[in-house]
Amino acid sequence: MGTFDLLLQGLAAALDPMLLLYALIGVTLGTAVGVLPGIGPALTVALLLPVTYGLDPAGSLIMFAGIYYGGMYGGSTTSILLNTPGESASVITALEGNRMARAGRGGPALATAAIGSFVAGLIATLGLAFLAPWVVKFALVFGPRDYFALMVLAFITVSSAFGDSTLRGLTSLFVGLALACVGIDQLTGQARLHFGVPQLLDGIEVTTLAVAMFAVGEALFVAGRGNGAPDEVIAVRGSVWMTRADWARSWRPWLRGSFIGFPIGALPAGGAEIGTFLSYAAEKRLARHPEEFGQGAIEGVAGPEAANNASAAGTLVPLLTLGLPSTATAAIMLAGFQQFGLQPGPLLFATNPQLVWSLIASLLVANAMLLVLNLPLVGLWVRLLTIPRPWLYAGILLFATLGTIGANPSPVELAMLLAFGVMGYGMRLYGYPIAPVVVGLILGPMAEQQLRRALSIAQGDVTTLVSSPVSAGLLAVAALALVVPMILRSRGRGRVLAQVASDAD
Amino acid sequence: MTGLPIEPQRRPDGAAFVIAALLAALGALLVVEGISLPDRGGYSGVGPGKVPLAVGLCLLGLAGWTVLAGLRGETEVPPRQAARPVLWVLGGLVAQLALLHTGGFTLASGALFGCVAHGFGARRLPVALGVGLVLAGAVYAVFDGLLRLTLPAGPVERLIFGG
Amino acid sequence: MKRFILGGALAAVLALPALAADYTIMAPAGPGGGWDQTARTMQDALQKEGISGSVQVQNVPGAGGTVGLAQFAASTAGKADQLIVGGYVMVGAILTNNSPVTLKDITPVARLTGEAVAIVVPAASPLQTIGDLVEALKADPGAVSWAGGSAGGVDHITVGLLAKAAGVDPTRINYVAFSGGGEALAAILGNQVTAGISGVGEFLPQVQAGTMRLLAVSSDARLPGVDAPTLAESGYDVVVQNWRMVAAAPGLSEADRAAVLADIEKMAQSATWKEALATKGWADTYLAGDAFAAQLDKEIAATEAVLRDIGLVK
Repeated sequence: MGTFDLLLQGLAAALDPMLLLYALIGVTLGTAVGVLPGIGPALTVALLLPVTYGLDPAGSLIMFAGIYYGGMYGGSTTSILLNTPGESASVITALEGNRMARAGRGGPALATAAIGSFVAGLIATLGLAFLAPWVVKFALVFGPRDYFALMVLAFITVSSAFGDSTLRGLTSLFVGLALACVGIDQLTGQARLHFGVPQLLDGIEVTTLAVAMFAVGEALFVAGRGNGAPDEVIAVRGSVWMTRADWARSWRPWLRGSFIGFPIGALPAGGAEIGTFLSYAAEKRLARHPEEFGQGAIEGVAGPEAANNASAAGTLVPLLTLGLPSTATAAIMLAGFQQFGLQPGPLLFATNPQLVWSLIASLLVANAMLLVLNLPLVGLWVRLLTIPRPWLYAGILLFATLGTIGANPSPVELAMLLAFGVMGYGMRLYGYPIAPVVVGLILGPMAEQQLRRALSIAQGDVTTLVSSPVSAGLLAVAALALVVPMILRSRGRGRVLAQVASDAD
Repeated sequence: MTGLPIEPQRRPDGAAFVIAALLAALGALLVVEGISLPDRGGYSGVGPGKVPLAVGLCLLGLAGWTVLAGLRGETEVPPRQAARPVLWVLGGLVAQLALLHTGGFTLASGALFGCVAHGFGARRLPVALGVGLVLAGAVYAVFDGLLRLTLPAGPVERLIFGG
Repeated sequence: MKRFILGGALAAVLALPALAADYTIMAPAGPGGGWDQTARTMQDALQKEGISGSVQVQNVPGAGGTVGLAQFAASTAGKADQLIVGGYVMVGAILTNNSPVTLKDITPVARLTGEAVAIVVPAASPLQTIGDLVEALKADPGAVSWAGGSAGGVDHITVGLLAKAAGVDPTRINYVAFSGGGEALAAILGNQVTAGISGVGEFLPQVQAGTMRLLAVSSDARLPGVDAPTLAESGYDVVVQNWRMVAAAPGLSEADRAAVLADIEKMAQSATWKEALATKGWADTYLAGDAFAAQLDKEIAATEAVLRDIGLVK
């Protein structure tokens, strides 16, 4: 039987009304828990996985797919509305999305995120279905030196999230890189900067830093504006739906985000965040109105959100074909697959095609169900912003700390949440961008480890870094990304941008 | 969007020097750590201390740049801040931290909720605390009871959930 | 309908019987990993077999289990209802992290399961046997790059032991640590390194699919269904097992210790436990009480020696 027939068969089976109901329950539960600020998809999936245990295999598989996609999507809602990303992959979404929400355009931001997630989920799930064997071959070409080149490219492009001051952007990035040095050095087992605190030996948790800097820092900043200050957040201005212009500005970023996110998600050491960084940078470069970035550009929500969801499906490529979990969420999913008797690995597609295809069909159904559930709810979610501020922010902090306590109920972790929250507050006061700190903490260790691995394998020969076609190509792109804007600026085209940037602050 | 950039608030500002000092301290810490770690690069030639050293040196450079920017008056002037609400929010977080392992999740998070709500303008603190306790209790029931997320238990949890 | 199902789930959870002898098992790692799975499998078996009423699993992640170990040793003295899961990784982590709390500060109860380590090469590699690999290692240790799990972990220790057994200076091995066996797997499949080393279970599906070649395993005898020699029979005196154990609180009375031992023994012999081992592919390496304690002491001494040889412990 051909691939296509198997998929159709799986889809036909998944359209049973009872299974659709399970999909709806899964998507609802996933969204409901995922939407809580500070609780990301990994924790959502881990918490809700046991709910699927009692059902028959087909039912639990489809509910599981619903929880997974629901949790992925739910995270972006609070990022956009409340500036509280629950995980690193929606940090970039919060940049533009929250600006839009503050300007009363939370509805279109949520809608472009929802439809973008659907489009990306559809493309990437089909990619998983039909291209997995080829994608995985491509992914395995990546060795340490190629990952290092990818990190260099990510570092260069991340400057697009710096805001209006290079000094402050670079400072934020290097603070993140400094935090990344804390903990046991993975390559030698040497402890660094732990000050005798054993909890620091594993380094600083990205989730803790992101929740602290965004949720706690934001709450302090809003509190500091005082109660007398007029509330500058407007729930809805204009339509809650996307306008024709929003559609026209969103569809290309959805597609680009999907095509950036899927292959990067499929890289065993890529990580979902890298795709969102690259997508954001690409949209900023390609946008007709790049000056809107930082002020609430819809492209900056549509692209990264699509990339995030495409890479979530991309993660399933190494997971299913190699048995290789490349994110925390994937590691939990691996445990989930095992309960269905699904042993991910190179022989899975050959030995167990029925299960694989019903999983893929379930993902497609859950993806569609998510859109059905969430588009009508956009109007309701936006009302979140009309909750009186005392209850809203008290609730945000309650759930943000719940996420941290649930993952690791240690006083040290909570103290870090507090300390980084204060740091995020101080940085907001003096106009330092927040996202580069989180980016530095994510990229720093990856870049360092891959560099040292590459050099170790080549016994210290530095030329190894440019001697694979992939690494040479990526580094060339990085060099272009660095040099081209400089040339453009020196030829005068950058003058307008510089003018706009200096006006913005 | 047009006209001369008017910058009435840009003047040398003490904050820039405080920020620069903090950056320099962080940078120095990394440099010292980088130098004092044993150089065990093995075949890569890059030991565990090299990256902290490099990041530390860059931070020292950024500290210098911040001083220059401060002298030229290019520092961002912070918006006016009210101290009282900020302190209430911070107090709530500290209270939660202190109460978590002695009083349990419900008491600690209820205290957090009450303090934060009060700081944001909920007038009556006892009401805010009451709402916080009920909400935190409900969260405990759902996440610990239903979803099996182990949250720290204290007297309240033992009284209601018996365990 | 939805409300009905949710209500049913709620009722089912709330209606769990509350029996006596409620154990709390600490998994000194995050959810999802090997120790967490061991703890949750124990939870399941203890409850289903009626040995304990309601068993709680508590995750305390950090630093190869030493964070959880320190917390456990400090807070549970004399409490017979407290258990902790651990393993061989902890032995190395205690040494490399200079942990002030060691396995001497808790009461080892039993070894439950274990897995041998496998040495593989990419399918395209010219090396055909473990002998070929060791010859290459002798010729130029730096040119043989090993992909495996974290530095100082069981994979690293095995390479160090093999080098020593083959007469190669263990400090000169070119060991490249990856985060967990998974990333190492990708590096081996992508032909980025000379050889790879990780748990047998991690590599077996790839070996069966023909994408990598299994050269040797570190068990004391050949493994059923695995077509590869042991290191020992190939002439290198190296036997390594990545075991997992359960331990109890420090300062237990003799009676309490015996009671815990009896409960664990009952669990390890139960049908639920054996079935779980079979579905998860974990080998039953049950060894309890004083015999296990003696074995543990021997392993700690041997591990310390090899970590010194590699240069990870001063």
